[in-house]
Amino acid sequence: MGTLSVASSNFVGESIQKFVESTGLVGFFGAMGWTNIVMIGVAFFLLYLAIRHKFEPLLLFTIAFGMLLTNLPGANLYHAELFAEGHVHWGNFVAQAGLLDYLYLGVKLGIYPCLIFVGVGAMTDFGPLIANPKSFLLGAAAQIGIFITFLGAFALGFTPEQAGSIGIIGGADGPTAIYLTSKLAPELLGPIAVAAYSYMALVPVIQPPIMKMLTTKKERAIKMKTLRPVSKLERILFPIIIAVIISLLLPSAAPLIGCLMLGNLMKECGVVDRLSKTVQNELMNIVVIFLGLTVGATATAEAFFNGRTLGILVLGVLAFGIGTASGVLLAKLMNLFVKDGQKINPLIGASGVSAVPMAARVAQTVGQQENPSNFLLMHAMGPNVAGVVGSAVAAGILLSFLG
Amino acid sequence: MKMLLVTDWGWSEMLWVALISICLVFIVLALLVFIMKLFGFVFTRQQAAAARTAAAPITTGQLHEEEIAAIVAALALFKAEMHDRESEVLTIQSIKRAYSPWNSKIHGLTRVPDKK
Repeated sequence: MGTLSVASSNFVGESIQKFVESTGLVGFFGAMGWTNIVMIGVAFFLLYLAIRHKFEPLLLFTIAFGMLLTNLPGANLYHAELFAEGHVHWGNFVAQAGLLDYLYLGVKLGIYPCLIFVGVGAMTDFGPLIANPKSFLLGAAAQIGIFITFLGAFALGFTPEQAGSIGIIGGADGPTAIYLTSKLAPELLGPIAVAAYSYMALVPVIQPPIMKMLTTKKERAIKMKTLRPVSKLERILFPIIIAVIISLLLPSAAPLIGCLMLGNLMKECGVVDRLSKTVQNELMNIVVIFLGLTVGATATAEAFFNGRTLGILVLGVLAFGIGTASGVLLAKLMNLFVKDGQKINPLIGASGVSAVPMAARVAQTVGQQENPSNFLLMHAMGPNVAGVVGSAVAAGILLSFLG
Repeated sequence: MKMLLVTDWGWSEMLWVALISICLVFIVLALLVFIMKLFGFVFTRQQAAAARTAAAPITTGQLHEEEIAAIVAALALFKAEMHDRESEVLTIQSIKRAYSPWNSKIHGLTRVPDKK
């Protein structure tokens, strides 16, 4: 009787021990358990920013939740080792992969950013850019931040591929940053995506001081000439021409530009309304969920807890600032060569850093502080959408050099 | 397709790549400016030509398309007005009830006996 009771008590004890060891709670008490706790804290903070302050909530929310899931010990939803050394380890993929590993294939294979670009294209009005093509130059100037940061990152000890991925944060274009990073430096995807989307949400905080510092009150009050009306035929031909020219000149930018222009043509041609509405809503929303969750999942404690993450955050904000300043300065330079009635308000140069339409709204707000009757929004939308094209071109160039 | 095959990246390679990249971004986008300007020039000319045609003097005896459209629209409206236009005042003029002993009030009511 006594032997039986001892045996059963051992069995119960072992069962309880096994159960406790199988829970994720034990993981917190391991050697690096504290890093998981800190990462879960970061995820909570990002969730707070997304829900309470509505900072880019569509992506920050899903990224934060992906970060939370991946840092819960024992959940086994994402395995960084399956994607180590820049390629998918198909051999043991089915045996080991968790849900987020399967979903991450869309990022790894460059599918989600392109699908998002189809939706972005369908939601973008290129009219202001067609009416004022000079805006392309402002969009190009704002990309200077990417390449200066590229050098800065190299100076801090990053490899050229990693430096290119960090520099692209300055393009202020989430899908482009994710696309390029997944190709060049997938190990940095988590910190770069978080930095890119966080800074995009902080555009109203980062840009105005730089814009005000580089312009005079008189310049900020400049009223611009009304844009000419753009015909439907021009709107239809624009995406076709841009897709063909850029894809021929820069084949590596073809996936991004091709998808952007495909979406835009769906919207402008007016004969595939159902497709246009689908890519703007259902497709976009589904891809945003998958992209956000899986990008968040790459932000594991091991990937985040090193000095490089801090470097990425600092370089990211630097890239944003330089891009903003370059756009404003080029607009000022262009003003030296035009007549009085055709001057450009330099504030719209800052909109060249993509971040559609937030950067254009910032130009409008800062402009109205000087002249409440000045409406810069439509003028700023030109460089803003040119920035999307510009950052995709810059990504294509970096991919050609470093990919 | 990779443009460069550099194995040992140093500062000179990095500076060149950055410089070439900036120039390439500007060249590609400046090319787009040129194409879009050309594009805009053609379309604004077409629009101006269309405006000139619209404003061209009309010879006597000829009617402009817009005038014909206006006349047709006016005629259509006029005919639409003529078509059984009602007074829009609805008034019940009278109600006639056919007499029947079954619905006669006299027969239906309790008759009070005459007290003589």
